[in-house]
Amino acid sequence: MTDGRSAASNKGMPMVRIVQETVPCECNLKDEADAGIRSAMAQIIDALTKPLSPEEQAPKRKEKGTASRVAFKGQLEEFNRFFYKRGWGDGLPLLPPTEAAVREMLAGTDLPPDHVVGKVVPRQGKATVEKIAINAVMAGALPTHMPILIACTEALADPRAHLGAYGTSTGSWMPFWIVNGPVRNDALVNCSSGAMNPGNIANAAIGRTMGLIVKNIGGARKAIEDMGVYGNPGKYSCVAGENEEMSPWEPLHVEQGLAKEDSAVTLFFPNCYSQIWQYGSDDKGILNTLIYNLPPGRSGLTCLLMTPTQAKTLSQKGWTKSMVRKYVYEYGRVPAYRHPVFHDGGGWTGRSPETVSPGAMDAVAIVPSTEHIRVLVLGGPGAFMGLACGGGLPGGAFVTKKISLPSGWGKLVAKYKNLVPTYERY
Amino acid sequence: MNTSADNRGAEYEVLSPWADADPVPLRGITPRPADLAGKTIGLFSNRKRAALLTLGAVETELLEKFPATKTSWYECSTINTPEMLTEGKAKFEAWVAGVDAVVLSVAD
Repeated sequence: MTDGRSAASNKGMPMVRIVQETVPCECNLKDEADAGIRSAMAQIIDALTKPLSPEEQAPKRKEKGTASRVAFKGQLEEFNRFFYKRGWGDGLPLLPPTEAAVREMLAGTDLPPDHVVGKVVPRQGKATVEKIAINAVMAGALPTHMPILIACTEALADPRAHLGAYGTSTGSWMPFWIVNGPVRNDALVNCSSGAMNPGNIANAAIGRTMGLIVKNIGGARKAIEDMGVYGNPGKYSCVAGENEEMSPWEPLHVEQGLAKEDSAVTLFFPNCYSQIWQYGSDDKGILNTLIYNLPPGRSGLTCLLMTPTQAKTLSQKGWTKSMVRKYVYEYGRVPAYRHPVFHDGGGWTGRSPETVSPGAMDAVAIVPSTEHIRVLVLGGPGAFMGLACGGGLPGGAFVTKKISLPSGWGKLVAKYKNLVPTYERY
Repeated sequence: MNTSADNRGAEYEVLSPWADADPVPLRGITPRPADLAGKTIGLFSNRKRAALLTLGAVETELLEKFPATKTSWYECSTINTPEMLTEGKAKFEAWVAGVDAVVLSVAD
């Protein structure tokens, strides 16, 4: 109910009358719906007929106006506890966003601090460059990550990303950030072995910053507006670069319409990421691994993760990214009885009375179209493949934003280029 | 930044990560009818799975309790999008003008 209240407030009607009933979520049983509504009917009638209170007629704003720029002064532990209790953290320790630290972060952009990169839903919070930098400092990001973070914020604010739905959904969708172009190497984004592991500042801190931005700028807080049933550890960070140097194919951002020399970030919201041992080292073994493991219940944006070795095997047999997408679309099918379309008419888009239900054994495509599929080459040696499966909201897409680098970028990169772990051998 | 125990005495003046948002003009809710008898109650479906079932149950209960009441259904044109921002805006406005009160099922 808290999310409904926040949603109503965001639309300027904080006093909308909300009745909480006991019908199970996503219920499709008439008896249960009838019983739940029957028990709430007195409240529903009351909500429809009770005279308005003065506040319902002329609601007052609950949130204070412009927040103070300085939030707190105190010691490290006190600052962390204060921010945590205000709901501004993510459970891990934060670094203090002091004036000096934020100024250093702003070296990663030529944009002025008050420039509004976008408004982030559901709260329509203004993502100024300074607010992005503050959250970046808190998350442990480096100034060389700022250009990426600004592009990430642009992607979040793009309606095609559907942050308003995925960022608050009971489905616990996680933002998957894919970095392409020269900035990957400049910002030390891991694209190779363990690209999705913790361990690199960029992969960890970029995702963590964006998680804080979703909360502190977008206003999607756990169990208040973000109603994810299980939640998702990927909301801490899910960032990887494409291993362009080892890939035989054009990189993702080129597929998305940018030039190879551009740097870019691509966003979509999977809610699962699974890894599968490849069925064979030839092209058929690799492709069949993907089509046999597509989850029939997802039916949305789907990112196929493969290693440079797998990509090279396919490329040597004449496969392109586009051909792989087409193959997975065409052959990624299941008998209808294993697909939601057989049970509920096919999800959001297939419930019109004209929908013809397939026969139980009819082959049904799992992914709606080739446009719902992208191929990402990353990772190191090994015989595993990956599937990141997202939702299928109408108008949704892989959202790619070009990254703009600031003047003096070379010097900034040089300043942080040696900030890499050196592991002692044993 | 040094976060060691030796540095714990240091004080930090920290900036707020919470964004400003342009204030949305607030509106009160629509005055309610004193009685539902003879009124037209709108039933708005957001097309989620439980919407038709729950609103159907509301309709059944309303018609039982207020036999002279009428209902008028509306189904959103685009999932997860305010109807006023869709191509259904004109149709939606005409529908709202023809009802005395509305029940929307979130159906999540």
